[in-house]
Amino acid sequence: MPELFVPESLDDAVAFLAAHVGSALPVAGGTDVLIDARVGRTSPEWLVDLTLLRSLADTQLAGEVLRLGALATIRSLELDPELARRAAALVEAARVLGSVQIRTMATVGGNLCHATPSAEMPPALLVHDAVAEVAGPGGERSLPLGELFAGPGRTTLDPGELLTAVSLRVPAASAGSCYLRQTVRWSMDLAGVGVAASVEVDGTTVTRARIALGAVAPVPLLVAAAADAVVGTECSAADAEEAGARAAAACSPITDARGTAEYRRQVVAVLVPRALHISWLRATGSWPAGVPAPINGVLPRDAA
Amino acid sequence: MRFDLTVNGDPYRREAAPDVTLLSFLRDVLGLTGTKWGCMTGDCGACTVLLDGEPVVSCLQLAQQVRGRAVTTVEGLEREGELGAVQAAFVSNGAAQCGFCTPGMIVAAEALLRRNPSPTEAEIREALSGNLCRCTGYNKIVDAVLEAAQAPAEAT
Repeated sequence: MPELFVPESLDDAVAFLAAHVGSALPVAGGTDVLIDARVGRTSPEWLVDLTLLRSLADTQLAGEVLRLGALATIRSLELDPELARRAAALVEAARVLGSVQIRTMATVGGNLCHATPSAEMPPALLVHDAVAEVAGPGGERSLPLGELFAGPGRTTLDPGELLTAVSLRVPAASAGSCYLRQTVRWSMDLAGVGVAASVEVDGTTVTRARIALGAVAPVPLLVAAAADAVVGTECSAADAEEAGARAAAACSPITDARGTAEYRRQVVAVLVPRALHISWLRATGSWPAGVPAPINGVLPRDAA
Repeated sequence: MRFDLTVNGDPYRREAAPDVTLLSFLRDVLGLTGTKWGCMTGDCGACTVLLDGEPVVSCLQLAQQVRGRAVTTVEGLEREGELGAVQAAFVSNGAAQCGFCTPGMIVAAEALLRRNPSPTEAEIREALSGNLCRCTGYNKIVDAVLEAAQAPAEAT
């Protein structure tokens, strides 16, 4: 097992990572990094323990801009009542990740940078047009979150760069979002399919929509063509199903223990309309504030 | 590297190699063997402890990362030599078969009840979903937590 370096500042962390490219990995919650090292998927000489960089754990909601520090825990999102009202997809994605114990340890930055195709956070953040903030030896920069992912387990971060935060827009009203997933077990399982949606409305007409998919491609996908199917509509069942069909056509799932490629594609076509419908109900004020959606989006008959 | 931490209310200053987990530190350095060594991948919950009052799996926590923080293990849930409410309810409900998952279950249940003193059965099952019982004795475990939730609040 590797040695531990414990930087007391972000500058120290970045300098160390830049000086040990290929041999050092940052570690925060440890729920992926320690397992990878233990089973031999990675063999770092150094782990860079970020836990003293407490400023990276801050979450700030100022007006319509939410900034999540990379060290914010998944559990902190799950338990945030303001987020539940304003960015339900984030809370719904948080509450199905791992277990209470894992969510208490795991961080937003870790979930993003581990770049697991089935990770919960990316789709929920992508539908809010999240921007990744990065610090590196060349200074700070930001990039659209979708550009962070290079492939399974790989990001586009340059050697020595560290994700410090993600920022996103969460409208105060006339907007709604939702994250649904299909799994074999409802806890302690990776998504077979993850679907996030967000819509903004003028009255009952959709003025802006986003649909993002997890676990059905090498990287999380933001599918503009699918979202376009409901812009300018009142998100009828037919409109939402068209969006689902387009999303299913855009993804490229694999067959593995959690489902066949064809099954996953069909699940996308089913979950996208449900996620859009729930998002639209939230945006139009027809969904009780702060109440999470059923994990698979199946509504009781009287609420549909 | 020498570091400070508090375990079950007692302060310690100890050293640990960089790869020593909190689980190993508790069992092998402090001799607190109530916390169980299970899967070592965070899946089974047998090693659950409270860190600053919140449940974590100690197999994925490096001991050095706990510097300055407060750990509570299953041994720390007794009160003046008497079992805590959750521990007592596990005994009275027979909520253990082989007993290996029991400490983790009790600590996870304790964390739930501190946050939510009167959970529903569904909330209990969700809160314990990161704790596996390979004897599959879940019903009595849930019964025990429901009973503990109804017990008079302990003086703290």
